[in-house]
Amino acid sequence: MFTWTGILSIGGGRAAFFYEALVVRRRWLGTDEFLQDYTLAQLLPGPNVSNLAITLGHRLAGLPGAAWALLAVVVPGLVILLALAVLYFARGLAPTTTSLMHGMAAGVVGLLLVTSVRLMRPVLVNARAVVIAAGTFAAVGPLRLNTALVLLVAAALSLWLHRPAAGR
Amino acid sequence: MSDVLRLTWTFLWLSFLCVGGGVGVIPEMQRQVVQNHQWVTAREFVDGYTLAQLTPGPNMLIAAFVGYRAHGVPGALLATLAMFLPTSLMAILVADRWRRWRDHPWAGAAERALAPVGMGLMAAGVYTLARSALHDALTIALALGAALVLATRWAPPMLVVLVAGLVGWLLGA
Repeated sequence: MFTWTGILSIGGGRAAFFYEALVVRRRWLGTDEFLQDYTLAQLLPGPNVSNLAITLGHRLAGLPGAAWALLAVVVPGLVILLALAVLYFARGLAPTTTSLMHGMAAGVVGLLLVTSVRLMRPVLVNARAVVIAAGTFAAVGPLRLNTALVLLVAAALSLWLHRPAAGR
Repeated sequence: MSDVLRLTWTFLWLSFLCVGGGVGVIPEMQRQVVQNHQWVTAREFVDGYTLAQLTPGPNMLIAAFVGYRAHGVPGALLATLAMFLPTSLMAILVADRWRRWRDHPWAGAAERALAPVGMGLMAAGVYTLARSALHDALTIALALGAALVLATRWAPPMLVVLVAGLVGWLLGA
């Protein structure tokens, strides 16, 4: 159980970090088991990183493992972000901070563009997937429709189109 | 309903809209926290996301940033709890059963069906953030420049974001 503390050392992060730490370095589980939990974390509603930590923690050490994994992923970032938020709102309106934030925000948008394209490539493999993704994007993005509603309709429609009998 | 409760409840239901990555919930979150409840401005929202991106841990910690602005440290803690705890409990409940369900034909179908929906939501999230963050030629150039550098994997993401900030500061973005 105490070895699980090791998860703290990675202090949260992305799926690739978990893979590196748990499968490659510590060999606590195999790639296959990891991918199972990864799929589940994607399917479940909720922030992906915490879902993945929870399912991996649960697999390795049961309920305490899951609880510990959640804390390990959320608390360090929470403390840092709170400190940044305090600084930001205390001095956020200073011109220096403003232009620094504007530049970084633009950089983050660039980063998100690249990450999204990378994630989309293996998913948008046929016309069906492209149409569903494009429709969801248009409805939630430019058309600004209610996300819950769009999600419900899009998920139901997509499930129907991907139903087992319809083949792949 | 007191505003703290409203804050907690908003992040709770938003957490259940996170499908296939947190960015997908950004358009709805922006509408709730900027337009409907006015806990932060559009500029503060995109800056909060930027800071959450720079912080280790899930980007959905932006809940803490918004919560802090609205109701100080208690607001931050409540918003974070609402964002992470209920969906985490659900993950624990499902994790056990998933090992039995995952061979079912519908499990594979759900996986293939939700992935493109998640991608569409994610694209909408990037669109929403871009609309607030890219407001002039300089910020557009910075975003494209950052994307170009990252696409070729010349430098790690955090370095690129920090350099973009530095350039923005030097050129007065």
